[in-house]
Amino acid sequence: MIFFEDVELGDELGPIYRSISHQDVDQFVSVWGQGKNDTRFTSKEIASGEGLSTAIVPGAMSVALLSQLLTSWSPNVTVRKLDVIFRQIVAHNEPLALRGLVTDKDPNNERSTIECDIFIENADMVKLIMGTATISISRRI
Amino acid sequence: MTNDGDIEYNRDLLNIDHDIGEFKITRDMVVAFSKAVGETDPKHIGDNSGEGNIVAPATFCNIFMPGLNRPNLELAFGNATLFAGQSLECRKEIRPGDNLKGTTRLNKVYSKTGRSGKMVFAIWETTFSNSNFETVTKIFDSFVTREIAGIQG
Repeated sequence: MIFFEDVELGDELGPIYRSISHQDVDQFVSVWGQGKNDTRFTSKEIASGEGLSTAIVPGAMSVALLSQLLTSWSPNVTVRKLDVIFRQIVAHNEPLALRGLVTDKDPNNERSTIECDIFIENADMVKLIMGTATISISRRI
Repeated sequence: MTNDGDIEYNRDLLNIDHDIGEFKITRDMVVAFSKAVGETDPKHIGDNSGEGNIVAPATFCNIFMPGLNRPNLELAFGNATLFAGQSLECRKEIRPGDNLKGTTRLNKVYSKTGRSGKMVFAIWETTFSNSNFETVTKIFDSFVTREIAGIQG
């Protein structure tokens, strides 16, 4: 368990290595209410028709993975805000690394909040998705 | 360069709230969403026997976004629209049994011109509130529309 007092600027979150399979995306879109018809997320042909090179991982799924990067850092983490930019598409079965970096910590803040940069990178360390997060983490006392 | 003066769209939509319905949160929904993103934390999926109190993951309200019936922007530009970004504020925990109410509004439309040409960004602000009229989640979705040769809009 990590506490607010333990966190230093520059601390790293992750990396978590993931690869999102076709089955993962199928399961996500079915929960999401889009499982009945193929879309750019499940069909390469439909994705091609929309100018994409391949079927893509939904942005909402990538955001959920980044949220997990934060909450898996320590069980006492609460996500307050996520702000992400989708720079490039995330393809199915692409090896991914989810990473974070602590960029700010205000010891006087009652909510014990910490600012982080967050990314999803591909195997070439190209940042496909990048953003910032505000999390709160409990204090030792 | 950012500009919003030369974009043709339905400006009557700006800053007008549109009701997107009510959402009854069930344990099955929370667990299914959590498992679909590979979540293993018992606070989201329950204990080994699937029991115990659970809360929804921070980005849970995204589950409602694809089916969300947004008004037509009537944008007179481009043939390809992609999700460009999202800002999500988690203000209150969401638990099974909660009844959420959602509204969405067109927050902003602007254009930028880069190496790949003109892009038009539309920002939609969606708010989910609980039965105590407290905002639980606020989401700003950014969509970019471009003209891409060879595809039909």
